[in-house]
Amino acid sequence: MKKYVAIFAVSWENEFVYRLNFVLWRFRNVVRLLLTFFLWKGLLTSNSNVFGYSKSEMFAYVFLVLLVQSLVLSAPSADNVGGEISSGDLSNYLVKPIDYLKYWFTRDLSSKILNLVFAGVEIFFLWILLKPDIGIVFRISSGVGFAIALGLAVVIYFFLNVTTKFVAFWMPENTWGITFLTLVLIEMLAGVIFPIDVMPVWLKTTVQFTPFPYLVYYPIAILLGKLSGWGLIRILLQSCAWMILMFFAAKLIWKRGLFNYQSEGR
Amino acid sequence: MKEFKVWLRYTNNSFQQVISRRALALIFLVGKCLRILMFLMFLNYIFKKSSGMAGYTREQIIFFYLTFNLIDSLGQLFYREVYRFRSLVVSGGLDFVLVKPINPLIRVLAGGADVLDLIVVGLVGGITLYFGFSHISMSIGGWFVYVIMVINGLALATAFHILVLALGIISTSVDHMVMIYRDLSSMMRIPVDLYSSPVKFLFTFVIPLGIMLTFPAKALMGILSRELIVWSLVFGGLSLWLALKIWTLSLRHYSSASS
Repeated sequence: MKKYVAIFAVSWENEFVYRLNFVLWRFRNVVRLLLTFFLWKGLLTSNSNVFGYSKSEMFAYVFLVLLVQSLVLSAPSADNVGGEISSGDLSNYLVKPIDYLKYWFTRDLSSKILNLVFAGVEIFFLWILLKPDIGIVFRISSGVGFAIALGLAVVIYFFLNVTTKFVAFWMPENTWGITFLTLVLIEMLAGVIFPIDVMPVWLKTTVQFTPFPYLVYYPIAILLGKLSGWGLIRILLQSCAWMILMFFAAKLIWKRGLFNYQSEGR
Repeated sequence: MKEFKVWLRYTNNSFQQVISRRALALIFLVGKCLRILMFLMFLNYIFKKSSGMAGYTREQIIFFYLTFNLIDSLGQLFYREVYRFRSLVVSGGLDFVLVKPINPLIRVLAGGADVLDLIVVGLVGGITLYFGFSHISMSIGGWFVYVIMVINGLALATAFHILVLALGIISTSVDHMVMIYRDLSSMMRIPVDLYSSPVKFLFTFVIPLGIMLTFPAKALMGILSRELIVWSLVFGGLSLWLALKIWTLSLRHYSSASS
């Protein structure tokens, strides 16, 4: 455990080495929030209620996306795992007494917590600047459900992310292609730009059978009170199922990949 | 002429690289087409469910989005190399570009045209033309102005990319800079008129993404005044000139780190 605490601390400090890069990354997140905020503000001017979302609910959704995104989708592993396998740098980790997956999960956690702190500050200032009409009726059950769904989303995203990167074991030059495809699917199907329930019913139902909406949309929907009772429990169980599925998929592909790994480039 | 020959050589090399990795190319192409289709579907659906979007018809909104994709893909087709510029600066590899007897901007800006975007440009261009003729306007004059405004949009995109390169030399932070440009430009997937007044002003007069990405469609629809057309052309030319000046200035700050 001690070594992972040390990795966490080093990773935390590492985030501050390229400060401008960090500031710009945060700025990008703010721009994305503004994009979605002004998009919905424009659409909701003439329509006080779109797709069952009132103005205040939609603005709450937009702000929560920034928060959830900072925690769930921020992951240095996304930029490194594929490259380390392709370049043979993975060998450096394999000879050390650490678990590669735990190493990257620790580094991801460090980045997530840092991003969450900054996202909190950004939301505070944007709240003051934009003065959005936000209405969240907080219920304990929603809060607890949100926290559980968020925790599950973090783990689902980690395993989904590394699983796609493990493609590099077989196709070292194609990692970026799979990453790009996954990013497109997350952008559209995770609820980052728009809530999933604005989609046609058939598409919304289909999307439920993919891991994407469990990353951003469902945690927020739970907090906004869109899901309660049996519906809430069902979604949390489905999230658990995805987490278990992704965990075993990642473990299996990692094992098979290691058999195929030839440390090319070393 | 020498520059054009060199650019052709770079482009040829870049195309061969892509063709040698067919699986990657296919995945990228599927991703790009999927993104365009899904947002198109979202726009169409949102239009059906809401009572209107700033007075535009559904066909007009779709045409705005198609034009956005056309100009955006053109920018990516020509200036893909900008996304790889950071490694050249931080490794000192830019030295090798600077010592060559050719304008370094050609190499770092347009040295890696992307064949995948050529396919996307072909597809989106064809659909835009067909959709525009059948739903927006059949006027030859209108299409002439549209093409001029698309070229002006590309000039502005060029200016943005040169600025990113210049800032990259000064700060070494190209990756996020170029992504900020992409994030901001993605706000123009819908007409600038849909945004509230301060945002509309910002994207027309301060960061001219509105001129770049929504003015061509407006010109074809006949809702852009002559004054605004002339003003945007002047603005496009000035932006390009200014970006080139800043690029020249930034080169003086290059410290050849790590080399």
